[in-house]
Amino acid sequence: MLQILVVCGAGLGSSFACQMSVETVLKDLNVEAKVDHSDIASAAGTSADIIISGKNFEEQFSRYDLSQDLIFLERLVDKEEIKEKLTPVLREKGEL
Amino acid sequence: MKEIKFTKENVRLNVQADDWKDAIHQGVALLEHNGLVTNKYASHIIRNIDEYGPYIVISPGIAIPHARPEDGAIDIGVSLITLKQPVRFHNVETPVRVLISFSAQDNNQHLNIIKLIVKIIEDGLIQEIADISSIQKLNDLIGGDK
Repeated sequence: MLQILVVCGAGLGSSFACQMSVETVLKDLNVEAKVDHSDIASAAGTSADIIISGKNFEEQFSRYDLSQDLIFLERLVDKEEIKEKLTPVLREKGEL
Repeated sequence: MKEIKFTKENVRLNVQADDWKDAIHQGVALLEHNGLVTNKYASHIIRNIDEYGPYIVISPGIAIPHARPEDGAIDIGVSLITLKQPVRFHNVETPVRVLISFSAQDNNQHLNIIKLIVKIIEDGLIQEIADISSIQKLNDLIGGDK
């Protein structure tokens, strides 16, 4: 199953809230995926297919050599923005 | 959601804060006062923000100060403050007037606190909370058995 990891600084607040919005969007899109959240330090070794994080972490992620699709959000709990940015990635992965 | 009852012990309305750091200190001071975090918790949050950017501002107008359990959290808990004057965070367009600070013991147990925060944002209640005049009204708006 598709795995999505939502990442923030502490890995239990902003990312957890964002995970809820992501799960709602996935449900709307009728896509099944396992969504989890973590802090940025733990994100480096993830096996997730897609990583979602805040815009402020973009620079941090550029230092990691990650093969995953990365999505950066201006607003972590904005379902419209999540849908807009996640849809093309899901299409590319054949999930939509 | 028994851990999210707003009372005079964990709410301050119309607080005067000098800047974002002061606002975090004042919100977290309520957690500390209630024995939920140590006196190191606020400085860990501020250090995280200095390092990673303002990840606690999750939607315009609202910040959710929090750090990792090992950064000084003792138990799960929450506090809410509203600010008389909004404070600005670096690289964030909209200033913040509502701070919901919380502490957690692991990555998941505080699910209800996160649910409440998401609900406030998705229902568009931030401005209403920023202007709220009493704890009773706050509980009527977001508390209860929901």
